Amino acid sequence: MPDPAATRGRVGGRADRRAWADQVNAGSKDDAKLSYEGAHAFGPEAVHRWRLGNGLTVLVLTDASAPVTAYYTWFNVGSRHERPGKTGLAHLFEHLMFGETEHLGAGVFDRKLEESGAETNAATWVDWTYYHELLPADRVRLAVKLEAERMQHLVLRDPQVASEKEVVANERRYRVDDDVEGIANEMLYKAAFERHPYGWPTIGWMQDIQGFTPEDCTAFYRTYYAPNNATVVVVGDVRERSLLLSIRDAYGAIPSQPVPAEDILPEPTQLAERRLELKRPAASEKLLIAFKGPALGDADHATLSVLSEVLFGGRAARLYRTLVVDRELALDLRGWVSTFRDPGLFECWATARGSHTAEEIRPVMDEAFARARDEVVGEDELARAKARLELGSLQQLETMAGKAEQIGFFETVLGDPTHAFRRVEAFRRVTAGDLRRVARRYLVDTSRTVLRVIPDTGAKPGETAA
Amino acid sequence: MSADSKPAKGRHAQTARFDLAGGAIALLEPSHAVPLVSIVVALRSGSAADPADKTGLARIAVRMLRRGCDGMTSEQIDARIDLLGAEMAVDTSHSTVAIHAQVIARNLDAFVDLLARLLATPTFDETELAKLKRESVAEIIEARDSDRVVAQKALQRTLFAGHAYGRNSGGTVRSVEAIARPDVVGFYRRSVVKRNLVVGLSGDVAADRAPAVAARIVGGLQEGAAVPDEVGEPAMRPGRRLVVVDKPERTQTQILVGTLGTSAHDEDHAPLVIANAVFGGTFTSRLMREIRSKRGWSYGASARTGVDRHRQSWVMWTFPAAVDCGPCLKLSLELMQTWIADGVTPREVAFIQRYLVRSHAFEVDTAGKRLHQALDVELLGLPADYFASWIERVLAVTPESASAAVRRRIHPGDLLAVVVGTAAQVDGAVRGAMPGLTEASVVPFDAE
Repeated sequence: MPDPAATRGRVGGRADRRAWADQVNAGSKDDAKLSYEGAHAFGPEAVHRWRLGNGLTVLVLTDASAPVTAYYTWFNVGSRHERPGKTGLAHLFEHLMFGETEHLGAGVFDRKLEESGAETNAATWVDWTYYHELLPADRVRLAVKLEAERMQHLVLRDPQVASEKEVVANERRYRVDDDVEGIANEMLYKAAFERHPYGWPTIGWMQDIQGFTPEDCTAFYRTYYAPNNATVVVVGDVRERSLLLSIRDAYGAIPSQPVPAEDILPEPTQLAERRLELKRPAASEKLLIAFKGPALGDADHATLSVLSEVLFGGRAARLYRTLVVDRELALDLRGWVSTFRDPGLFECWATARGSHTAEEIRPVMDEAFARARDEVVGEDELARAKARLELGSLQQLETMAGKAEQIGFFETVLGDPTHAFRRVEAFRRVTAGDLRRVARRYLVDTSRTVLRVIPDTGAKPGETAA
Repeated sequence: MSADSKPAKGRHAQTARFDLAGGAIALLEPSHAVPLVSIVVALRSGSAADPADKTGLARIAVRMLRRGCDGMTSEQIDARIDLLGAEMAVDTSHSTVAIHAQVIARNLDAFVDLLARLLATPTFDETELAKLKRESVAEIIEARDSDRVVAQKALQRTLFAGHAYGRNSGGTVRSVEAIARPDVVGFYRRSVVKRNLVVGLSGDVAADRAPAVAARIVGGLQEGAAVPDEVGEPAMRPGRRLVVVDKPERTQTQILVGTLGTSAHDEDHAPLVIANAVFGGTFTSRLMREIRSKRGWSYGASARTGVDRHRQSWVMWTFPAAVDCGPCLKLSLELMQTWIADGVTPREVAFIQRYLVRSHAFEVDTAGKRLHQALDVELLGLPADYFASWIERVLAVTPESASAAVRRRIHPGDLLAVVVGTAAQVDGAVRGAMPGLTEASVVPFDAE
């Protein structure tokens, strides 16, 4: 919830902002009216929440520590909104957003930004898509104009779609088909999620990528690229009111549109362990063990993240010490609780060393999982895990872009732009008993998927898991 | 300077530099934006000084510093680092080896105590060294899973064959296995000494405290002497050469085409940087436009000019599907030939100047970036005003000087192409795409 205290003592508090909005809204059409919805404490700073009449959410954090600005546009659409046979559409569409618009020829979007010294990029995942511009602070209006232009005037014709499909196919070859870790990850999620869209890859199956038409892309654009399905996050050396007037002028004429209600079936409870093998050219065996995990918004998410750190985080972590340092069975270990809106996975990844096998590593990991269920973690281990997580959280706030990404991500997935700080508080509250509880709840053999990668050169070129 | 190419406001003051007792120096970039402190302890010598049969020594020796010190085992050190909310990593290049650390600001003092102890009292335990060597060998083998890394290593060792830059900083399986404790101890005594060290601090540390903090970090070290740079200037072997790195079951290829670029001290360095940006340095560059935007052949297409103490490489990179590798390489070479023959246009140069001048704000927008610029000047022997005068030098480049730099430095007859792919699928296509080859070979991906 917005925190009125966040603006206490600052010039331009809640009342001032509302009065200013009333003043500038006089004579505006409803879609272009600005409303101030309050401030959220973001550590020592404040994120101010605004909304346009057409539903566009605008979050502004003024930070004058460097003369640069991060402008992020988050859309509440990702691969979870696709359907079988059309996988990869959200990601392909993200590529197409850098193409021609009604008022900008092909390549002009990027040229205008580069000419202003800006960087631009985008990302798509299961729950969201974002676009960003990092600009010298005095050029932020350019981002406003360009983003508003492509939100409403994108041109989707066959030559652009055909060429971009090739680019995405090549991206897939790079990230998945010729990358053993990429293809293992894809296979793992496909096996772990039989019903939920998290089971298909965000980049899409190759045959789906190759089958998209301009009509598919236009329908997707009209459905999801609406102001009421987007959040603009601006962090940097900006003048808030001037920025907001630019946003109002650029976006105010874009109509809101009905966004279809999600039609996602929850993943059924997994009742038996699933085991898979993947044979690929690889330097060594790999082992992936993935338990069903909590959604990002679940209170258990932070607790399981702490447990992951106890087991996998850093050279002093339990499994790192046993598998990498003492027994030298593994070279690399990672644990990660997926940060998804719906329940995801607790992924445990090990790279075997030399001729050691996944079958040697798995019992050691199982023993550590059993220990986590049976015993409480020592105070030192818990303190180390918390300190590492705090360090990681702070590292994500070192740049304007880092802050904008944190704000936009948590706003889009959880509706709370300052959740990064709540998460650090949640890490601090975790007790050893909490860790044992989540271990018992989530480290359940019957709810896990186990994938073993075996080095092999016998498969045919181009073979994929799809 | 034209009105529309002014740098963004707010350029920062120069990084503070302090002489420490015994010959080390310290650089400071304070920022209180986030309660974190970053520390760099960098040697003025890198892997180029490794014995030819023991490459990887510098990296191994510096990594050994956290694997046991007076009164603490490797395990205790790891636990202490984590408990302080800190992390430490070692970065090795031909010209420097650096410990990069970061710590939550409230634990700075405790971490500095630990770091000083690690630097001053390493035990170089035989068992730990044997462990680290086995780990390093496994890392070298595991890196073969990355086609991009395989391509980069093949380019480096072939382009700079016979020169120190041709040796990989991490070493080879054989060279790492040859390293013994006396080598590590010798390296430590020779290189981890005050006169061979630069300490960098950035982040949430008070300016008036920083010199004392830096002095504490290196306080227990011997004074020693700076390790001399005995690396000669690299030379380009004449001819058009092709190396196909054979890796099974590739659906895609990694293509690197390289030659020598400039030294940061060369007069045509900035002109070549500008010309390269036109050719392959931005998303709207010639290479990106023709390879990705028009044809969709490769997810990325770029060119870069390296900077080091001596002349580094100029390299262009694409990664097309195996079926497109011949046409993609052929077009890349044609674009390069046009770039050399016709140079760059005034409009292109003006565009890139605006891009580089305005984007300069992102070169200095964090304390960490500003510190790293100052470190590069110290460690790579760059001209003292390399970064400070960068905008002025960019704006001084003309279309004529940029085009001349390309003609002087990049010769279509003296090139090396490295292609990682499945040789049976791609060898014929890439040979056909590169006429006038003077040398061609196929090597296995696990050759090194």
